[in-house]
Amino acid sequence: MKYIQHINEVLGKKTAETEGLVLFGQNIAAGSHISGLTKGLQVGKEGLIINATNAESTLTGLGFGMMLGGVSSVFFMKQLDFLLLGIDQLVNTYNFIRRKEPEASYTIFPVVSDLGWHGLQSSFDNFGDVASIARIPGFTITNKIDAEEIIGTHLVRPGFRIIGVSQRLFGSDVLDLPKIYSNAEKTIFQYAKGDRATIVAFNFALPYGWTLYEKMRDKNIEASVFSVNSVTPVDWTEITADVKKTKNLIVIDDGKSENMSSDNFLLKAVGECELEKKIVLKRDMEGNGWLYPNPDLLEIDYESVIKKFL
Amino acid sequence: MADSKKIETAREILRLRFSQLIVNEKYKAGEFKIPIHLAMGHEAIAVAVDSMMSGNDKLVLSHRNIHYNLARSGKLKPVLDEYFLKKEGLAGAELGSMNLANEEKGIVYSSSILGNNLPVATGLALAEKVKRSGGLVTVVTGDGAMEEGTFYESLVFMKSNSLAVSVIVENNEWSMHTQIGERRTEIDLPKFTAALGVSYEKLEGNDVFNYIDRLGEAKNSILAGKSPMVLEVKITTLGGWYVEADGRKDGRFIHPHAGPLPETSIDEWPELENSADDPVFVLRENLSASELESLAREVFRKVKEEIGEL
Repeated sequence: MKYIQHINEVLGKKTAETEGLVLFGQNIAAGSHISGLTKGLQVGKEGLIINATNAESTLTGLGFGMMLGGVSSVFFMKQLDFLLLGIDQLVNTYNFIRRKEPEASYTIFPVVSDLGWHGLQSSFDNFGDVASIARIPGFTITNKIDAEEIIGTHLVRPGFRIIGVSQRLFGSDVLDLPKIYSNAEKTIFQYAKGDRATIVAFNFALPYGWTLYEKMRDKNIEASVFSVNSVTPVDWTEITADVKKTKNLIVIDDGKSENMSSDNFLLKAVGECELEKKIVLKRDMEGNGWLYPNPDLLEIDYESVIKKFL
Repeated sequence: MADSKKIETAREILRLRFSQLIVNEKYKAGEFKIPIHLAMGHEAIAVAVDSMMSGNDKLVLSHRNIHYNLARSGKLKPVLDEYFLKKEGLAGAELGSMNLANEEKGIVYSSSILGNNLPVATGLALAEKVKRSGGLVTVVTGDGAMEEGTFYESLVFMKSNSLAVSVIVENNEWSMHTQIGERRTEIDLPKFTAALGVSYEKLEGNDVFNYIDRLGEAKNSILAGKSPMVLEVKITTLGGWYVEADGRKDGRFIHPHAGPLPETSIDEWPELENSADDPVFVLRENLSASELESLAREVFRKVKEEIGEL
C-alpha cells in the first residue's frame, strides 16, 4: 500500500467515527481530493464537509472560531506554503485560545511540499519554522505505525496542532516497521535497538534512516533507530540514554530550516554524552540551487558512513 | 419605548461615558502600563449591541473594545482592575486591554490585530450552524480593518455557507492618525456588499434608542435569512486635540488612537461635543435637561462608589 493510501484510510476511520466534526479545505471533496489525501472521507453524525473558498487566512482563523464555539474541525491544506497566509491566526489567535483548556479540537493537516520540482514555492518546506513560530505542536507522518498512532491520538483531541505529510512520500510504499517504543505524546518513536550506533531521523527523514540501518546491519553493525516526529524540540531523554550506550550518533534531518530541532538535540547530546563518533547528515544549502526546480532529495553517501564503523 | 427603559438606556450611555472619563484621568496620571484605546463617542452602538444580545449570542471585538466590555460587564471595576493587571481583573490580568474578552457575557474573542477577528467570527458562526443553537454572532470591525483581505474573504465565506453574522463597521474615518481620504480610495460599502449578495444597513446620528430598534430588526432578519449583514455605523471618536505645527497652535489635529486624551476632563455633565457626534448630546432629544442632569449626578456617584473612590 502506498503512503498516501494508508494515511487516507487511517483518516477515514477516525473522521467517520467522530460526531459533529467539520472537515474543510480547498478541493477536499472534488477532483483529486488533494492527491488522494481526503478521498472518500466521511464525518459522523451532525458533521460537515466543506469545499472551502480560496481564503487561507480566513480558513486558518475559521478553525479557531469553531474551536471557541465548541466545534472540532480539520483543515486540510494542499501545500504547507499556503499556511504562510494564515500566520497571523497561528500566532495571535492561538495565543488567545491556548490560555485555557479547550473542549474542542482543531487540526491543520498540510501537505509539506517537499517535492523540489515545484520550484520556488517548494523551497519552503520548513515545517519546523511554522510550528516554532508560536510553539505549536507539529507532527510529521513517515510510516504505517506513526500514521496510526499520531492520527489516532491527536487528530480530534481537544487542543490545536498541525500534522504534516510529505508530498515526496505520497507515491512510495508505506514503510511498515516493527515499533519498539513510542512516547505518550507520539513525538518520539523507536524502531530498532542496537549497540554500535544511534540513528536519529528528524522531519520526514526516517526512510533515509531506515535504509542506513539496513545497510549497516548487512555489515553486522547493529544500530538503534529513532524517529523524532515532533518538528519542535521535545524531551530528548529517551534518545540520549541510548546515545550514552552506543557512543556513536548519526543525525539525519531533511528539513531546510535555519532553526532545526535536530540542532537543539545535538546541543543536548554533545553536552551530555561522551561521543566517539558524531555524523550529521543534512541538506547542502549552499548557493541558490535549492530554490529552483530540483529533485529535493537528501543525498547520502551511505557507504562512507558505514566505513566509519568498519 | 417605555419611560423606565428610556431612563435605563440613558443611564447606560452616561455610565459608559463617565467610566471612560475616569479611565482617562488615570491614564493622564500615568497609572497604566498597557495601551488603552478609548472609545468616547462610540457609546450608542455599544449600548445598542448589549441591549440586542441574548441567549447564545456571541460578540467578537477588536482592539478598541472598552465600550463593549463596559456595556456587557455592567461595571467599571473589573475592567479597571484588568487595565491595572490585577488578578481580580475581568480576565485575571491575562488579556489587558486590546484582547479583553468576557466569555460569561458572550464576548468570546477580541483581537489586537486589524482584520484578525473576522475569520474567527466566521468560524464561530459556523459552529453555531453545526450546533443549531440559533445564536447570532456579532463582529465589530472598522473602516481601517475593512481594508484587510480578511474582510472580503470572511464575507464571501459567510455568504457562501449561509452564516448568520452581524458585521458592525464602526466607521470613524480614521485609521490611527490617517483619514480615509489620505490613505485609500472610497469604498462604496452598499455596492460592495450588494456585489456579494450581503445585506447592508447604515446607522448614523448616535440616537441609541433608534439604534436599539434597528439592531433588533437586523438581528431578526439575519437569523431568519441565515445570511450575514453589514451594519455601517458612522462614528466620531471624541477627544481629539490640536498641537502646534507650522507656527500655529491649531496647526495639526491629533485623532484619538491609543493613549490618554490630554484635553478631555470630567465635568458634571459629561458631554464632549455640542452636536449629534456625541451620543450624550443626543440624549437631549428624548429626555429633559433636568432629567439628564439628575441622572448624570446619580450615575457618576454610583460609578465612583463602585470603584471605591467615594
